[in-house]
Amino acid sequence: MSEANASGLTETEVKARALDLKSLDNPRAMKLYRRFDGIIILVLFTFLVLGIQIQFTLTAGDWDYWIDWRDRRWWPLVAPFSLLLFIAPFTYGIWERVRLPIMATAVTTLLCLVSWLSRYLNFYEFTHFPLSFTFPSTYIGLGILLDCALAISRSLIVSTLIGGGLFGALVYPINWSFMAPYKVPVEFNGMLMSVADMMGYQYIRTTTPEYLRIIEESTLRTFGGSVTPLTAVFSALCGMVIYALFLWVGSWINGLDKYTKRII
Amino acid sequence: MNKLLARKTGLGALLTGLILILLAGDVMAHGERAQLASMRMRTVHWFDTKVEPLNVKVGDIITVTGKLVTSEWWPKHMPSIEDTVFLNIGVPGPTFLRLHSEVNGVPMMRSTAFPLGKVYEYKTVMRARVAGRYHVHPILNVKDAGSLVDKGTWLEVAEADGDAPFVNEITTLTGETINLETYGLKGVFTWHLIWIAMGVAYLLYWLVRRELFIPRFIRIREMGSDRANELMTKKDFVVSSLFFTVALALILGGYLWAEHKYPITIPLQTGLVEVEPIEIPTGGLEVEVDHATYDLAGRSLSMQLKLTNNSEGPLRIGEFLTANIRFLNPDVNEGEIYEGEEMISKDGLTVSVDTIQPGQTVDVELVASDALWEQYRMTGLIHDPDSRFAGMIFYYDENGERYFQEVGGAVLPNFF
Repeated sequence: MSEANASGLTETEVKARALDLKSLDNPRAMKLYRRFDGIIILVLFTFLVLGIQIQFTLTAGDWDYWIDWRDRRWWPLVAPFSLLLFIAPFTYGIWERVRLPIMATAVTTLLCLVSWLSRYLNFYEFTHFPLSFTFPSTYIGLGILLDCALAISRSLIVSTLIGGGLFGALVYPINWSFMAPYKVPVEFNGMLMSVADMMGYQYIRTTTPEYLRIIEESTLRTFGGSVTPLTAVFSALCGMVIYALFLWVGSWINGLDKYTKRII
Repeated sequence: MNKLLARKTGLGALLTGLILILLAGDVMAHGERAQLASMRMRTVHWFDTKVEPLNVKVGDIITVTGKLVTSEWWPKHMPSIEDTVFLNIGVPGPTFLRLHSEVNGVPMMRSTAFPLGKVYEYKTVMRARVAGRYHVHPILNVKDAGSLVDKGTWLEVAEADGDAPFVNEITTLTGETINLETYGLKGVFTWHLIWIAMGVAYLLYWLVRRELFIPRFIRIREMGSDRANELMTKKDFVVSSLFFTVALALILGGYLWAEHKYPITIPLQTGLVEVEPIEIPTGGLEVEVDHATYDLAGRSLSMQLKLTNNSEGPLRIGEFLTANIRFLNPDVNEGEIYEGEEMISKDGLTVSVDTIQPGQTVDVELVASDALWEQYRMTGLIHDPDSRFAGMIFYYDENGERYFQEVGGAVLPNFF
């Protein structure tokens, strides 16, 4: 009775929790738990893949669809913003409840797989765009860094500073390994273009005119023209802030379970 | 009984749906009738649109040429073509490759700006890429306003001889000849496979274990959040550190490798280009619009004009053009009709005065009437919130030389 009062639980709840704990030594119960775990993975991953596909399409779609949209200024800012605001609430929930640092890797890997499926079926097979023009970007390595920062530090604050920062800063470098060939210069009709610009011009998109691209334009406000590193630093800062902000959103959502208890 | 009825109803609905799908025809229009009538009349006047040849094979070259006049009656509430515009081509995606495009001789890889009331001659050269039957439209994408579509021309593209894959080669400034259809894909596939393998391996490490969601949840609930970190083992720490190190090394290593392999790269290129417009060749004819009425029942637009011929020879009005519809005066018979041209009324224009002599000022009634008004949803003119019209009149001197200019003004409907 005193134990129940101290934890704010009813006596029945205390007994139920003791039975739950005891069940971990029961092989039949564990077998059942494993089946439930399988269902949780299936449901969670289905929700994640649908959610991130819609969310990323709506917020960073064109930057990820076309190689002639992946610039040095906007894409490295928009992509981590869009991903981190989705990843953070799930990370908080899963970390607080089951201590599994997997959500960033799960989201980025699922996004990569579903993006390839979409590019192949929708862009390549259905509308005849070459895959060399529409391949997706990758963020899996950034997801691993973010999750590992949490697993190593076991602290959401430290993972925000290190993982969130690296997630923002390294968008351009992680994709540069296979994106660099598309930034090789070409001369066309007396004008300088990159291979990516050339593809954007040649492979006709009726409702995506050239001016629609939200990409880097010339400006007087530069530090010796160092666009990429400056964007990386700013993106790292944004990554930390967004990740922290949406971890807080996750904590708020996580606290909503008190209402479900009242309903039940 | 109810179950049987439900099954029969479901089956019937399914069959009906299948039949409807099988009977559905091709989409034959691509938005040329969709916009408000007054918007189509008062934005851009496309003419002399020519697509040739009309029957090609994959790999063959197609040229689209024509002219356009930007309307001085451009709606003030709409973002203007004077700010940013891109010459585009309306085809179903990359079924064609755009090899070249120009306006008044200036290459149009980028966007530009068109002052109003001027003439622009455009040209787009394409290479057929995918076999099929296509409705090809020249298009102007106007920033913040939308697309302005010229009428379409049907084009047949047959399969190429032989089974060789389509190749699109260019030479870079570094001297490398590349095929854009597959360029860079080897690197893309390799790096994506590496990262997918890394991601899957990391997830498998955490998800394939004896105690996962429910057991860990029970333990954390028992231990409390202060002691929850005890669930993270030393092995977890070591494996996570390993993944962290390998991921970081791959990112930085890949970046440095690409920098070494492609030392010369440039940022994406953008910015407006300038086009010198051409003045409208009015040929010395002064035009004043007195009034205009749209006869709903007769499907005709009637314009009362005061014309003064300041040129040295007689002039005859041969054509009225609005919203891409050509109304030709059969008495003049000068306007050229191109192969495959649509939206044309060969005897749709009547002019009350046949010839305007030099120095003469006359009141002329132009009546453009045809069922095309109905077919292309121009009757919606009377429902527009800004009932004004604009169009182009084309007229010829005694040598057959063509001149043109824009007319426009308020239009009143005639309901009876």
